[in-house]
Amino acid sequence: MTHAAFRFDLNELNLDTIQIESVMGYKQGESQETISELIREILKESETIGNIKAEYVIFDNVRFNDAEKTVEINNLVFSLRKIVYGQIKKAESIAVFLGTAGKEIGIRSRKAMKDGDLIKGYIYDVIGSEIVEAAVDRMQDELEKAMLSSSKRITNRYSPGYCDWDVIEQHKLFRLIPDNFCGIKLNESALMDPVKSVSGFIGIGKNVKHNPYTCNLCDMKDCIYRKVRARK
Amino acid sequence: MNEVLIKLSRCVELGKIDKVSPYPPDMKGQDGADELAKYALDNGVKPDEILEDALIPAMASVGNRFSRKEIYVPQMLMAAKAMNSAMKHLKPFFLSGETKRKGKFIIGTVAGDLHDIGKNLVAMMIEGGGWEVIDLGVDVSSEKFLKAVEENPGAVIGLSALLTTTMENMKKTVSAIREKHSGSKILVGGAPVTMDYCQKIGADFYSPDPQGAVNYLNELVN
Repeated sequence: MTHAAFRFDLNELNLDTIQIESVMGYKQGESQETISELIREILKESETIGNIKAEYVIFDNVRFNDAEKTVEINNLVFSLRKIVYGQIKKAESIAVFLGTAGKEIGIRSRKAMKDGDLIKGYIYDVIGSEIVEAAVDRMQDELEKAMLSSSKRITNRYSPGYCDWDVIEQHKLFRLIPDNFCGIKLNESALMDPVKSVSGFIGIGKNVKHNPYTCNLCDMKDCIYRKVRARK
Repeated sequence: MNEVLIKLSRCVELGKIDKVSPYPPDMKGQDGADELAKYALDNGVKPDEILEDALIPAMASVGNRFSRKEIYVPQMLMAAKAMNSAMKHLKPFFLSGETKRKGKFIIGTVAGDLHDIGKNLVAMMIEGGGWEVIDLGVDVSSEKFLKAVEENPGAVIGLSALLTTTMENMKKTVSAIREKHSGSKILVGGAPVTMDYCQKIGADFYSPDPQGAVNYLNELVN
């Protein structure tokens, strides 16, 4: 099993005000200066946040079942459903990954909300989501580079809870990895702690491909990321 | 309409909380919702008028603009905060019974789910719509919802969930409420929730945005 772990500073992730505003729904130039200023201020404050991490482990022994739309890894059978299965079925190996923005950003968001500063709390929450996505993007880039040496490519990343893949399978995913992998724990409701964390599979192989835009495959029509990515 | 109420309504709509609030920049240094609500009361405007003629229409306008995607969550939060700063002056009249609200609305994020931003937004918009909101918080068990329904007969119930797993707990909570209080009205909402799901679990209403919930509640009492 190949394993790699990454740790990031916020500055390396190149988050900017426009990106955060875009996730909030604003088109470029549409947000008021007061909001932009507040986002800049909170991004600056967030620079002290540590524990931004991403980690993957590659499983080479994977068995796909076309009829059931499942993949078996280490005797655990994952029911990926049609969309994810279709994207990942040609993989020779699967990277199981986790990424997190750490606890601190969630603590700051909740504290601001509790203190009545709802906007600050909301901005921290959005920044937390973007931090974890950016960290996992960087990890995915590193995985792609590492696979190129053996002429292999990678798929997009897919997470339980999206594209019909039942989020309850998160429990099985966590059984594949050591306890406290990436500093993330899972509760009974399949909710990760820290909350600003992501998990999932990336397919690896000579015959897989990465799609620049996959939101059209998913049925969550109101998802903010679908709107943001469609705009790009 | 009273000039002060027009100004108060505008402050709420634009999110001008109080005099020291820097937002919106073109109203810097001017009185905000806080000062204007107090001024109105001190000058004999009835609390009912403040609620009916200024706060409720302002928040309805904010909710409609959000539904039409003319404004986004930050402006909605600013407006809700301005509304709260005016509402605090009305609280004594609600408590004494001099000013009546449209009804009670119990809201919470279902068991296992810790997400509260969407739930808070809905709670604020419904309060701004003239309802008394009983916010049970996050990770709320069916038992806690039931207890709140028993303590507040006739209240409408709102369940929120952001995750596909915790959404399943909505079903349990709806069933638990239906078993003991079959006539209760139940609203559901949250990113993974759909009208199909709402109907499947036997809830009464689903809205993809807060104003839809406010409109539904108003239909119940009109």
